[in-house]
Amino acid sequence: MATQTIPTYPVPLTAEEAREFSQRHIKKHQVAIVLLHWFNAIVWAIELATGSALIVAPGYRFMPIWYLEMMEHLAGGRANLLRIHIAAGVAWTIVFLVYAVFGWRHYLHAEVLRKEVGLDSDDMVWLRVRLLKLVGRTKQELPPQGAYNAGQKLYALLVYSMVPSIMITGLVMAFHLTGPVFLQWAMLLHFVAAGMVVSGLLVHVYMGAVFPEEHPAFYSMITGTVDELYAYRHHFKWWREVKAEQTEWLEKTEDAAGTEEKSLPVSQTQA
Amino acid sequence: MPRYAMVIDKERCVGCQSCTVACKSEWDVPEGGARTRVRNAGTRGTYPKLVSTFYVSQCNHCDRPTCVAACPSGATYQDANGVVRVNKELCIGCGSCVAACPYGARYIDSDKGVVDKCDFCAARLEQGLQPACVLTCPANAKIFGDLENSNTDVFNMVYREGAHRMESRQVALGPNVYYLGKPEHVELAAAAFPVGQPHTVTAGRVWGALAKKFVFLAVGATFAGQAVAFFHQLATAEKQFDE
Repeated sequence: MATQTIPTYPVPLTAEEAREFSQRHIKKHQVAIVLLHWFNAIVWAIELATGSALIVAPGYRFMPIWYLEMMEHLAGGRANLLRIHIAAGVAWTIVFLVYAVFGWRHYLHAEVLRKEVGLDSDDMVWLRVRLLKLVGRTKQELPPQGAYNAGQKLYALLVYSMVPSIMITGLVMAFHLTGPVFLQWAMLLHFVAAGMVVSGLLVHVYMGAVFPEEHPAFYSMITGTVDELYAYRHHFKWWREVKAEQTEWLEKTEDAAGTEEKSLPVSQTQA
Repeated sequence: MPRYAMVIDKERCVGCQSCTVACKSEWDVPEGGARTRVRNAGTRGTYPKLVSTFYVSQCNHCDRPTCVAACPSGATYQDANGVVRVNKELCIGCGSCVAACPYGARYIDSDKGVVDKCDFCAARLEQGLQPACVLTCPANAKIFGDLENSNTDVFNMVYREGAHRMESRQVALGPNVYYLGKPEHVELAAAAFPVGQPHTVTAGRVWGALAKKFVFLAVGATFAGQAVAFFHQLATAEKQFDE
């Protein structure tokens, strides 16, 4: 397929084309990201379960007494509960630090961040239409999206801004760093930041695991790939990029195939 | 279950600091920290009607301790025998309890980053020993015992000899360290080292008044939003998408 044949807007597909598209898979997530996602999910489950049971003073508490007691008994005392919370939290921080240090070239540079959190005008329309569609208030089509839709971008923004403060305040409390006043505010920030992530997490989990239209996105977090039909319909702008890359690569390899005999000695000397 | 109390006999205390030394060595109290203190209250009046006294202070193991409620992590707690203790494993060192104590009985152990204070030598009590300061006092000015037992010295001093609780009109938490002595001595000590005001730290106030509501609102809003979406999904029935 040459570059000019890639449509610039999502034209309706024929049944034949749709079937063809649904057979082909394209890579969405790297293995590192898939593993990191589920590690992150497990840590969050542990941290939320233990953390909410560690806030016990009357003015601070928000979980019912029976939950606090149940968690204490499950862990064998509140000290154990705290140990689990700190151990999981420190492991989490270390893993993400390693990821940041070794993976920043691949995952964390400006282009990737723009792709993950940069909202454009299509995204603003998408947010409005998406909300209305959720409650069946509009028949309007969703505007084409990049690799991540506007909702995912908003969630990423929330997470990227809250997670560093959760990590820093957590380390400050776990290792009794700084002084009393800082610790008091660290506790508050830790709680509020985690609360903000939870408010987004509810939508994230619903959209990923329950909402029917996004099921391929859920499976992509296991297999790393999505079918092209889903990519075409939900992430059209990203689908175009992938197609353009594939075409470019195909053209290159065809060129290379044509001049194979000439270039062969060069590649041998390189090897 | 016993209910422990201590009586300081001001007639006997000469301010020798033996109790302070015993306490510091027993519990490895760092420099600058104190589980118990002996302070000179100075003098009042003119000779020959001149009074002077020492004020021995420590945790009062109050009946209604403000520090227990102030501790976010639940590290500060009260045993059934009335002794208020700190679980160092749970303590973050935030100092919310330090601000909540009207007696200044708590300090932050900067080496360990946790709060420490007198616990009536709970570890010694469990072994059937007296608190270190009581055992050390050369003048027997510190008397420790069970208020539930009418045969003890503290029972007599508290209920028959009228030992005094250091309380103010505003702050009456039922302290269980009592002071025995001439009224003018007790008054002088109370005037020189008045009972403070229990204070809730700003972050603690913000937590209850603002942060909790804010988080509840945010989480509640998204929960309600997706509940609406979910019921819409159930009501419209799922189609086979993208076919």
